[in-house]
Amino acid sequence: MRELTFVEAAREGLAEEMARDPRVFVVGEGIGARGGNFNTTVGLFDLYGEERLRDTPVSERGFTALCTGAAVTGSRPVVDFMFIDFLVDAFGDLFNQTAKLQWMSGGRLKMPIVLRGCVGVASQFGPHHSGNYYPFFLHVPGFRVVMPTTPADAKGLLKTAIRCDDPVLFLEHKNLLNLKGSVPDGEHLVPLGQAVVARRGDGVTIVAIAYMVREALRAAEQLAAEGVDAEVIDPRTLAPLDLDCILESVHKTGRLLVVDEDYAPCGAASEIATQVMERGFDDLDAPVRRLNGAFIPAPYSEALGQGLVPDAAAIARAVRDLLAE
Amino acid sequence: MPFEVTMPRLGWSMEVGTLGAWLKQDGDPVEAGDLLFSVEGDKATQEVEALESGILRIPPNSPPPGRELPVGTVLAYILQPGEIAPFEGPSAARDTLPEPPPVATGPAQPPERTVRSRRDQPAISPRARRAAGELGVDWSALQGSGRSGRIVERDVRQAAREAPARLSPLARRVAGRLGVDVEQLAAAAPGRRLRREDVEAAASPAPLSGVRRLVAERMAASAHTAAAVTLTSEADATELVRLRAQLKADAQPVPAYTDLLAKLVARALTEHPDLNAHLEGEAIVQSSAVNIGIAVDTERGLLVPVLRDVQAKPLRQVAAESAALVERARGGSISPDDLRGGTFTITNLGMYDIDAFTPIINLPECAVLGVGRIVPKQVVVDAGAERLAIRHMAFLSLTFDHRLVDGAPAARFLQRVKQYVEMPYLWLVE
Amino acid sequence: MTHSPDVPRDRLLALYRTMLLIRRCEEQLVRLYAAGAIRGGCHTYIGEEAVATGVCAQLRADDAVFSTHRGHGHALAKGIPPAELVAELLGKATGCSGGRGGSMHLFKPEVGFMGSSGIVGPCITLAAGAGYTARLQRTDRVSVAFFGDGAVNNAAFHEGINMAAAWQLPVLFVCENNLYATEVPFAKATRNPSVAGRAAAYGLPGEEVDGNDVMAVYAAAGEAVSRARSGGGPTLLECKTYRHRAHSEGQREAGYRTAEEINAWKARCPITRFRQRLLQDFGAAAADLDAIEAEVRDLVQEAVRFAEQSPRPDPATAADHLYSEEDGDRA
Repeated sequence: MRELTFVEAAREGLAEEMARDPRVFVVGEGIGARGGNFNTTVGLFDLYGEERLRDTPVSERGFTALCTGAAVTGSRPVVDFMFIDFLVDAFGDLFNQTAKLQWMSGGRLKMPIVLRGCVGVASQFGPHHSGNYYPFFLHVPGFRVVMPTTPADAKGLLKTAIRCDDPVLFLEHKNLLNLKGSVPDGEHLVPLGQAVVARRGDGVTIVAIAYMVREALRAAEQLAAEGVDAEVIDPRTLAPLDLDCILESVHKTGRLLVVDEDYAPCGAASEIATQVMERGFDDLDAPVRRLNGAFIPAPYSEALGQGLVPDAAAIARAVRDLLAE
Repeated sequence: MPFEVTMPRLGWSMEVGTLGAWLKQDGDPVEAGDLLFSVEGDKATQEVEALESGILRIPPNSPPPGRELPVGTVLAYILQPGEIAPFEGPSAARDTLPEPPPVATGPAQPPERTVRSRRDQPAISPRARRAAGELGVDWSALQGSGRSGRIVERDVRQAAREAPARLSPLARRVAGRLGVDVEQLAAAAPGRRLRREDVEAAASPAPLSGVRRLVAERMAASAHTAAAVTLTSEADATELVRLRAQLKADAQPVPAYTDLLAKLVARALTEHPDLNAHLEGEAIVQSSAVNIGIAVDTERGLLVPVLRDVQAKPLRQVAAESAALVERARGGSISPDDLRGGTFTITNLGMYDIDAFTPIINLPECAVLGVGRIVPKQVVVDAGAERLAIRHMAFLSLTFDHRLVDGAPAARFLQRVKQYVEMPYLWLVE
Repeated sequence: MTHSPDVPRDRLLALYRTMLLIRRCEEQLVRLYAAGAIRGGCHTYIGEEAVATGVCAQLRADDAVFSTHRGHGHALAKGIPPAELVAELLGKATGCSGGRGGSMHLFKPEVGFMGSSGIVGPCITLAAGAGYTARLQRTDRVSVAFFGDGAVNNAAFHEGINMAAAWQLPVLFVCENNLYATEVPFAKATRNPSVAGRAAAYGLPGEEVDGNDVMAVYAAAGEAVSRARSGGGPTLLECKTYRHRAHSEGQREAGYRTAEEINAWKARCPITRFRQRLLQDFGAAAADLDAIEAEVRDLVQEAVRFAEQSPRPDPATAADHLYSEEDGDRA
């Protein structure tokens, strides 16, 4: 076991996969010699050069589709968008080509492409650099979506994503990048579609997404002092979702709060709530509650950002309110 | 305007008065001059008359009798036709406070909602509904502790804990028969209506315990250990029947057939002591005392209390002791001493219309006598003369342990018992 | 630019046969569409056969072709059997996409046909990606993007060609400029009428070709393919051509093309022209050409019969291959 930051762990995973498979290459703005705006590729350019660490022009649509074409012809590209907000320009080809080529070709074309980028509200980056956008990829058939919250999971899930023959969104919350945590030695892979119970409890279930897991754990500590024993679940993968893990928890506690920084309408929390309602209706002692970020673009000014995203105090309040149902 | 009936000043210095009693009731029509109520003043009790005619209306929160009140306190009203008492008008309606809105928990608030349920029943969460089904709780009568009165799981579980268990009459009977502790069963299933199946389930398949286990062990040991042989002999019990009938006319207690047999068998055993023996290790030990165990059917199972020194005791004493033993056995107060030390056992199944059977030896004894029913039969009393008669016949079934006793001695013993049954007056021959 | 057509005889006949195959097959599809057997879009390649034929004749089976909505010609020229093309448009299980794609989403990776797209533009960037793989894996494969004049003003054109040129990817970008994008004349869509001329802006060679002269296309494509295979990077070919029929079957000619214009281009039919050239310049026998004609006709008839008799796809398979794992979709 070693202590690594989230970024270091992910990078270690990428390095291992690039060493293991010469078909893996990285594409993005500034990921070459500079090592990436978020240090995602530091040290790799020296090992593999520009062919496998390709700095791109500002052509998100272009290089996403280019990597899609590369993926169906035997390469395993990692598209590093830096900020997930930039990926939005590529929506057209992502939904019509990347998501569908495997299906349209009856499985004869594979799509081993990783689409990675940093998500979430942080550091007052403002309206164009604070996005999440992942619900789109839960909604369109063909994608996998993973959002690790620990360094060990960052490494394990990135490796799995690179080895997967499906298009995988690998989303890293900005507030997690410097989080330190234990990372196992040796080969470490985390499977897709497997949630983890970050904190065991039997009083209430909290499913939290990405950075909200950390806030939920802080909230759980506050609540424990009040005699409320919260169980916190980190789904780790949003598509496919480990619903069984959530249902098992709800069966135990009867009450569910889903905390997601992203917007409420048609979001991941809505999907989880609906699935739990469909399959765990009789276990529910109260309606499922969602706690989402404010339904506005992310403001720059601190003053406008109060309550923009849930924090531990807001989560604890939501839990108390849920228990009063 | 309704006329106000007030505490009157009955003396120029009176400041307070104590309401004595109302002499009219709320709703009564009163005439001016009618006496309405009494007042205990400084000096004496005085009755107060109505100053108006109309309907007397006493508010529900009117000061009760015995209360000391300032002069002028409104006690009641007298209404004219069409007037409404102030305490019943629209202005008296209490305001209901609106429900506080849900606590603001974060940027995205859930829309405020009131819990509505179908068909005017209280709202209940799915989890609570399921719990109610499992626990047999009628939730429609519950008060919900959830928001807006929703019934939640804890309400259902609370109700179940507080509800007494209800047993069906049949369940109660079965519980008694099977010896199931009803209170314990009820505590395990709070609020549930217990039925016969629940009781039976609680009783069985309970593992063998107590008496049952003991009996089972002893029966098995006997069946596997002794070399059991059963001899049957049909005895003419007519004389015995007659004897008992005569004894009935005498003072209590009336010896039962089993008691009579015990005495007869005891006599026979003193003549055939090898049937009054048991195995101790490798040795066969004969007892000088004849202690006869009487098989008794109790709710808890078969018990065999022992009558001691039957050979030495008069019949009446034997009868009294056996009656006491049987009562103690059936009542559950038999002691281990009562069950020990037998040298021979008698088991009577005649009352169940059993003719003959193969009783199991009550180890370490070496023989057991089974007694069947006494039944009138047509028998040959003089073969030569081809004469028949109706006699009271009974089968005696003797099972003996062939390890200790051979067939002939056993047969001889049984024959002697038969003789005693047929000719009870042989007792007179000591 | 001059080309010396030092082309072997059997290759010449093959060029003729391929064009004829495309023409006869498209004619059948026109009839099937009119009979109601084909739904949705059906954009015929009639009149443009020389482009697909000339380019694909220079390609190997392991070279990758990415095509557009008007892709039947590319599909047949690259090696998709006519039976599989017709079956696909009839929505049958034996179609090259298993009935999943129809006219605009044809796939047969086994012959290097990596897909046509109902969205205009992405074939350019996808082909660039295939070129990237060839570079990365140090193979000499080339990739080709076929697209119309409508695609050249799409960002995919700009970004894809720019990256292909910047990174010297082995790609052939073939623009079939038939002067109209649906009903929008190219002259109205952009100020500079030369597509080939754009190449200079990105730093790659660009060539304008008579798209109705199969020999010219063949020659130009040959140069571009050699360039790509030898590491010389991408080429942009602008093939001037014309579609004889409406943009899509079922659409009327909405009057944006004059009868004169259409007839003038029909008179320059690539097949008629090449037949004449074969007879006149290359000494081919009419009987041989007729034999090819007959063989193609039979082949196409057989293809239609095959397609009509083929089964529909099993509805239970609709969700298969959404993901690479075979245990079906995990939503």
